Amino acid sequence: MKLLRPVLLNVITWALVLLISFPLIWMIVTSIKPQTELFRIPPTWLPETVTFEHYWRLLSETSFLLYFRNSVVLATTTTLFVVALGTLGAYSLVRFTYRGRETLAMLVLFTYLLPSVVLIIPLYLMMVSLGLSNTLFSLILAHTTFALPYALWLLRSFMEGIPEDLENAALVDGASRMGAFRDVIFPQLLPGIISTALFTFILSWNEYLYALVLVNSEAVAPLTTGVMSMLISAFNIEWSLLMAASVMMSIPLIVVFAFLQSYLTSGFGAGGVKG
Amino acid sequence: MANVTFRNVHKAFGTYVALENLDLDIRDGEFVALLGPSGCGKSTTLRMLAGLDFPTRGEILIGDRVVNDLAPGKRDIAMVFQSYALYPHMTVGENIGYPLKKRGIKGRAREEAVQKAAALLQLEPLLDRKPKQLSGGQQQRVALGRALVREPQVFLLDEPLSNLDAKLRSYMRAELIELHRRLGKTMVYVTHDQLEAMTMASRIAVMHAGLVQQFDTPDAIYNRPANRFVAGFIGTPPMNQIEGAVDGGDFVVAGHRIPIDRTAFVDSLRDGPAVLGVRPEAITIATGEGLPATVRLAENTGHETIVTLELPDHSRIAARVEAARRLDVGHNVALRFDPAAIHLFEATENGARLNRDETPASVIPMRSK
Repeated sequence: MKLLRPVLLNVITWALVLLISFPLIWMIVTSIKPQTELFRIPPTWLPETVTFEHYWRLLSETSFLLYFRNSVVLATTTTLFVVALGTLGAYSLVRFTYRGRETLAMLVLFTYLLPSVVLIIPLYLMMVSLGLSNTLFSLILAHTTFALPYALWLLRSFMEGIPEDLENAALVDGASRMGAFRDVIFPQLLPGIISTALFTFILSWNEYLYALVLVNSEAVAPLTTGVMSMLISAFNIEWSLLMAASVMMSIPLIVVFAFLQSYLTSGFGAGGVKG
Repeated sequence: MANVTFRNVHKAFGTYVALENLDLDIRDGEFVALLGPSGCGKSTTLRMLAGLDFPTRGEILIGDRVVNDLAPGKRDIAMVFQSYALYPHMTVGENIGYPLKKRGIKGRAREEAVQKAAALLQLEPLLDRKPKQLSGGQQQRVALGRALVREPQVFLLDEPLSNLDAKLRSYMRAELIELHRRLGKTMVYVTHDQLEAMTMASRIAVMHAGLVQQFDTPDAIYNRPANRFVAGFIGTPPMNQIEGAVDGGDFVVAGHRIPIDRTAFVDSLRDGPAVLGVRPEAITIATGEGLPATVRLAENTGHETIVTLELPDHSRIAARVEAARRLDVGHNVALRFDPAAIHLFEATENGARLNRDETPASVIPMRSK
């Protein structure tokens, strides 16, 4: 009985892991199978011949690289915007006392609670009247609006953990307010900034709905909508290309995540407990 | 010249008044303690002097310069925080060197100044460590080092010893006294610990409810408290305050008469309600004639015994007797007060002291044998 328990637990855990990771594994396996092997019944669990022709076709014959570039620009710029605004906003919410401060913080959170579908039409009309429709910048703005509230709360809880005396000490030691922020607050806030940046980058990288509505030309489409419209038509789904594209879309996230994972989890922890 | 002057300084947070009409004149090179319970306004006073808070009205001067609108870094002050506020991501050396860095002092000059401050505080072996690798006492010394390094005009210390254990605290107290003697700079020290204030400061400002109650030498604060608050705050146990009435040459408590010398008090003293103040060491416990009392508690601390006594009106007072003295709880005794050590206060909540200042009160020893 004593021996059976850990074995049983292990079996259950691994079964769960397999269940969750099966789509991912299948995606990778499919992307390296030759076209002829794709729909064979019964299916081959491991490809009989490994081929990278789908990847090659994707890179050489389609606009995949253009979408990839758009997505990189979109996610990176959104992340920079959100981190810059979020840091300053959180600093203001924590360090300065003014009328309506708490209300403001609550209102910001409230916008986060609204489903994004509700905001799409007003946002679209706004972008049109601003002359920004069908530009990458309109997507950057839209992504910033929905990532900022959460970022603000996450950074706020990090900021609250930094003792005010540290900043006061820097001021007395001769630093300006900006100098104190740069020398003392910023290094302390770095884990919070990294997790906020990761969160925003992932959100913006994977976002589909806004991209679908606000942008409809291929030149400015990000990966999510670009790949979908390119490979899925009413008559046919290019499964092998789609799988290859999916693998390549996931790679940047997996790489970034693997390097900064410890910051991310600590960030979500802080947000969860205090935010 | 680095005298510090508060001129009619007032500070309010919304409707809450933290400080009222503060007037303080701190002389160049003086060690002044701001002493009071929490919420008395002492930290606000210090923060305003540092430039971290701003007075609602009034003027603050360092030397001859009004500093109201001057940024903290431009006031030529250094501050040690209760939490030490060491920069966690910097080494000890970088922490101490930071104020110099912010003043554009580079390279060798900075290094030498850091070494000098570190040597003064025996921090040399720790210069490459991070603050979290240090003990509380070591962190405290780093905070002091950071304050010392650029030789400011005025040192501000905000309860710097309150996070240390008792033994280290008494050691650091001696260190700070020695440091002040050596540097000869103006120091303003905020504390709620009367022992720190009494032993270190040349003058103490006792604060309560946003007002300075008394600003004087430790000796005067102890022996000539300005009012009932100061009398009840200073001393362990503090001065006993017995409610009664003045009647001719006597003070009457629950029908018992204690003779007083009317000439020792101000001319305006009238017959009627008053409060008699007497330090625990100025009470003699005897039998026979005197104010009757019952022993309720005797606490022997090894070198003395603090006796709690119940008076006929059921109020309680404390007396200090030698440790060897045996007093049984429940025993009835008679109390006699040293006539020279009797204070009278107005019968209001924080009544003023009514003694003439030239009374021999000032020569009462801190502890009677």
